Amino acid sequence: MVDIVPLSSYPSYIDLLPSIQTCNITNLPENYFLKYYLYHALTWPQLSFVAIVRPKGGYKAGTGRGAAGDVSGQYPKVVGYVLAKMEEEPTDGKQHGHITSLSVMRTHRRLGIAERLMRMSQRAMAESHRANYVSLHVRVSNTAALRLYRDTLGFEVEKVEDKYYADGENAYAMRLDLTGQWMDWKAIEARDRENEKNDDDAQDEGEEVGELGKKDDAKDQERMVKVKIGRALGVGDLVEKNESQQ
Amino acid sequence: MPQPLNPKDQSLFRQVVRNFELKQYKKGIKTADQVLRKNPKHGDTQAMKALIMSNMGQSEEAFTLAKEALRNDMKSHITWHVYGLLYRQEKNYEEAIKAYRFALRLEPESAPIQRDLALLQMQMRDFQGYIQTRTAMLQARPGVRQNWTALAIAHHLSGDLEEAEKVLTTFEDTLKGTPPVSDMENSEAILYKNTIIAETGNLERALEHLEKVGYRCTDVLAVMEMKADYLLRLGPDRKAEAEEAYTALLERNPENSIYYNGLIQAKGIAESDHKALKALYDEWVEKNPRGDAARRIPLDILEGEDFKQAADIYLQRMLKKGVPSLFANIKSLYTHPAKRDIVQELVEGYVSSSPAQANGSDDAKEKEFLESSYYFLAQHYNYHLSRNMSKAMENVDKAIELSPKAVEYQMTKARIWKHYGNPVKAAQEMEKARLLDEKDRHINTKAAKYRLRNNENEKALENMSKFTRNETVGGAMGDLHEMQCLWYITEDGEAYLRQKKLALALKRLHAVYNIFDTWQEDQFDFHSFSLRKGMIRAYVDMVRWEDRLREHPFYTRMATSAIKAYILLHDQPELAHGPMPTVVNGADGLTDEEKKKALKKAKKEQQRLEKIESDKREARKAAAANAKSIDGEVKKEDPDPFGNTLVQTKDPLNEAMKFLTPLLSLSSQNIESQTLGFEVYLRRNKHILAVKCLSAAHAIDPSNPTLHLQLLQFRKALDKPAEPLDPKVAEVVEAEFEKLLPKSQKLEEFNESFLSANKGSATHVQAALSGRIFLNADSKAQCEQDLLATLDSSDITIDEAVPALDLLTKWGGDKAAYAEKAKQKWPESSVFQLN
Repeated sequence: MVDIVPLSSYPSYIDLLPSIQTCNITNLPENYFLKYYLYHALTWPQLSFVAIVRPKGGYKAGTGRGAAGDVSGQYPKVVGYVLAKMEEEPTDGKQHGHITSLSVMRTHRRLGIAERLMRMSQRAMAESHRANYVSLHVRVSNTAALRLYRDTLGFEVEKVEDKYYADGENAYAMRLDLTGQWMDWKAIEARDRENEKNDDDAQDEGEEVGELGKKDDAKDQERMVKVKIGRALGVGDLVEKNESQQ
Repeated sequence: MPQPLNPKDQSLFRQVVRNFELKQYKKGIKTADQVLRKNPKHGDTQAMKALIMSNMGQSEEAFTLAKEALRNDMKSHITWHVYGLLYRQEKNYEEAIKAYRFALRLEPESAPIQRDLALLQMQMRDFQGYIQTRTAMLQARPGVRQNWTALAIAHHLSGDLEEAEKVLTTFEDTLKGTPPVSDMENSEAILYKNTIIAETGNLERALEHLEKVGYRCTDVLAVMEMKADYLLRLGPDRKAEAEEAYTALLERNPENSIYYNGLIQAKGIAESDHKALKALYDEWVEKNPRGDAARRIPLDILEGEDFKQAADIYLQRMLKKGVPSLFANIKSLYTHPAKRDIVQELVEGYVSSSPAQANGSDDAKEKEFLESSYYFLAQHYNYHLSRNMSKAMENVDKAIELSPKAVEYQMTKARIWKHYGNPVKAAQEMEKARLLDEKDRHINTKAAKYRLRNNENEKALENMSKFTRNETVGGAMGDLHEMQCLWYITEDGEAYLRQKKLALALKRLHAVYNIFDTWQEDQFDFHSFSLRKGMIRAYVDMVRWEDRLREHPFYTRMATSAIKAYILLHDQPELAHGPMPTVVNGADGLTDEEKKKALKKAKKEQQRLEKIESDKREARKAAAANAKSIDGEVKKEDPDPFGNTLVQTKDPLNEAMKFLTPLLSLSSQNIESQTLGFEVYLRRNKHILAVKCLSAAHAIDPSNPTLHLQLLQFRKALDKPAEPLDPKVAEVVEAEFEKLLPKSQKLEEFNESFLSANKGSATHVQAALSGRIFLNADSKAQCEQDLLATLDSSDITIDEAVPALDLLTKWGGDKAAYAEKAKQKWPESSVFQLN
């Protein structure tokens, strides 16, 4: 019995990270430090999902958080995951998501787990981040994955990337349009205006600080330095330059 | 006071700071030296130079210089700040905090010092200090949202929910107008505030707040989950809404049994109302025909004929599709023997009535169905709750015959050999499976694991190296460490432990321990990073997770093995030089002369290996001196690659404490943590702590066999302590122990009644026999006979039988007789082969 749950939203299943890392290194040649998983979970907590085997007798259900069943402290077996992100510097200038890694244990294949993981992540990319599309790479020899992405999920091959993988194999770069799943932000903002009109009388003295805040905010953004991290870059690059002392 | 510089040098000094910020380290050093030539005692410049040196990896020299800088300029915040930064780099956080505090006293308004101090306070969970620093930072820059959020986090984690919420609200009130929906920081801050309200327990208010703001939060799934959770917890009045909320969640994701639980609770369907439950799940099958959960969960609930019907449909559907994970998905049903038997009957039925079986029909679909059924039955009969080894082998062979290239089938064959108690054959068969698909890492992993279970460390690594970056320092093993491949490093260590190669065992287990340290360290950067990203809920969850990081079963497993290794090393110090030969037969064991000889041989072997390694190291060094380093990063050579330094510790039990302490605080409900704790504490003459472990173990399982033996040992230890106990200590210990094993209790009687109460369990009988010998050495012959008799039981499993060999070694008993009898009982096994 496999359940698909979010990695680091509500409730949080972040204590599964070491097991996710193990699932990855058991199945795939592309591996990462735990910190890279943390980086995904803490930067885009909406986008990653985990497939876990339900413990015998089900999850303990408390009266607290997760009254319908609580996984924390039980460390169920992880049999699959999707690790996803938003592209930080899109070359085409379009906000889009990217699948960093997806894997399902051989012992749990053909239960539709990978498809479900992908659909959950795609929807979150569209809703939370207005991703125009989601991209991914797949080995040209991986026919099972190709079938999932192309035939089941509707991805299209964008191009072939020569020798993309460390062992020299080529990759298909694939993508899927997500604009159809966007939320109607206009409607939300209309509702905002409605609400504001309703409690117009609640004007208060907070303005000045707010203005001040904007100025400082802008200044603060200027000082931000873009951060990149990956296997090649190493952990040290997570620390921003302006973290250092002056 | 900082020493004044002339304007030119002053500008050079600023140049050094800039160089550092831009990571132009070489330039920075050069410029600093320029200043120091004229002002050799300029503390600030020395400090900056030290900081740069430390970033270049010259940490020792950096420390020396930083200390000199401090001596030259005690009143400069820069020298103190740098001193703190160097300590931070060494991970000596307490000293770093002290240095930052000095710096801050000299320059109370300095933002960089405040920030660095705050990061460390968070890392050290000094919440009171963090609140203080964060309050000061907020006062300095109240316009920045991050500063408010950070203070709220400080209050929240220190337990002051009310203040945390207040801080967030205060900031919200300063906002002019509603931020746009695209402002994710705002969206997350709102949800963060909502979780704080929920944590106060006032769910009414949390829900009200969520209704008001949730529509504009972009983490849609989170809002839905929170709402459903609150509604369900709010009880009967909100059931209709809870039902709606869980329905909405299932529409998004019908593959989460927790949502079904919620829906059923909300609808108030009784657990016993199978009909209603089945109807509910059927509805979801219809809505989502491709899903598995709604088809599979009813099998947990249904019974009798209803179960049979549903199972039949489920099994046939999956077997027709050839889903290889069917058994894995079904086996949890087997805790109900009736269901197990029905499944067996059904699938055996499919096989015997298959047309493909009857007439060798070439219909591909029929063939696939038959093959899947054989495969299913092979796994079924190999499973411990439905075990029949010969049937398992029979079925797997039939499946393999139909599809000789199917990796899964061959893997199952290897697993069957494993359960036969034959790790040698299992490893060979798994290797065959690996060769069927050399590009698949999963099967490669399995093959390596089976090698390790057969104590073939080198061959295992050779397998692993097909998927590692072997150009890493340390080769494949180096890459596995770098990629934090916990399972492998742990299994490798355990294989060495089984072989009594303690040096390498400790080396690996320490490596895993260090990876946990790295994971704890990993959070550091997120203390600042997450504030900027604004994903506060995930950050707070991460901080809490880090605090119970070592609760993870990966830690428990590694620590358990490490403690066992150290206990072994304490009891048999000669193992520091490598494994000693064991005696197969004969009650006397080795003579002193033989022991000396063996020890000498082991030492020689150890020296030989060390020589090989040091030669290799020299060669590498020579090569490295010639080669240009590619990434400029110098990887330190491991000065102790075989763990020889580790194993030569003077105080193994003290080393064991490092592993034991987290185990006892985070996995106290694990009985093995407690029984191991006892072993360590007893050897360290810590009687109070030892009895505490016994009490804790007793509370978990009073009839645990290990505990039983320990109770006897402890009574004896108290009767005849190695060194007299402090009377006050003795009193406390006695009082506590009296509850577990009263002083008036005759030990022999206690032991024999344990034996007769647990006759059915081989493990318990083994413990009781050990107890009997412990109390009366003369009973050895009888005990050996009784131990042999445990093999007559039809219930004893091979895993229960194997530890008896170790017992016989301890008793100085006749291993050959036991092994011979066991081999007759399990003729396919290899584990009773004595060498």
